[in-house]
Amino acid sequence: MGGKCPHRKVKKRRLSHKTARRGKFLVKADDAVYDELLKLAEDADARQLPVDEDLPGMGQFYCLHCDRYFASESVKEEHYRSKRHKKRIKQMSGPAPHTQLDADLASGMGMPDNGLKLMSM
Amino acid sequence: MRLEKCWFCSSTVYPGHGIQFVRNDAKVFRFCRSKCHKNFKMKRNPRKVKWTKAYRCLHGKDMTQDSTFEFERKRNRPERYDRNVTEQTLKAIPLITKIRHERQKKHITNRQKQGKTKERERDAKELEQDIQMLPKKDVMLSTQKTKVVVKVSQQQTEENLMEE
Repeated sequence: MGGKCPHRKVKKRRLSHKTARRGKFLVKADDAVYDELLKLAEDADARQLPVDEDLPGMGQFYCLHCDRYFASESVKEEHYRSKRHKKRIKQMSGPAPHTQLDADLASGMGMPDNGLKLMSM
Repeated sequence: MRLEKCWFCSSTVYPGHGIQFVRNDAKVFRFCRSKCHKNFKMKRNPRKVKWTKAYRCLHGKDMTQDSTFEFERKRNRPERYDRNVTEQTLKAIPLITKIRHERQKKHITNRQKQGKTKERERDAKELEQDIQMLPKKDVMLSTQKTKVVVKVSQQQTEENLMEE
């Protein structure tokens, strides 16, 4: 469980637990998933999953909402029936996630000023 | 020098303050203090946390739409320095903030007025229920009056149509 943390002096806490939490870091954030979903809605099923040996099921069974790869079609179907997945779908079908622009507008700033359009295309 | 806004609570982040997180898709998240950073790491939604500006604006606690909000903007182009303009903006800033504060105060006092709509509803209900209690003359008069008004307006519209 975990590597050594060389700078830590206390004997009890010398081991790092970062590797155990790696999965947590790799999960895509809500707004990234939301953008991906929007992109997919525009493309209309033109998406092909690339074959990746390192991923479970060669990366062919992917849940976009939860950002998870599955070993087979049946496992994926089972996941689709789960409560967690349904919750996630509900969350993603709601309003767009909070962004920096929202934060700016809430703080009493106007829309960003990009100036005049210099190139008329 | 740019005064950025905190991603979580929308307060101003002055240079040398707060912390900045750059995600591996090159998105930048700025936080004014460790409180906001921690809340972000806990994946809390600022729209659901009551002390953030985003929550307060979304739920009508603060004034959101006002002409005084149009001045402070993120300008994505270099502004050519002009001494006069700078002087005038520096003069205008305290004035604008004063006006904004007054309007915000007004907004909050209006918001905290108690049961205005409820009172109106109650009155309407009472009138509907107990209209028989009024002396018949008054009721008749009031209805007649409205009738007259309607007739006049109809005539007017007809006349207007004829003229057109």
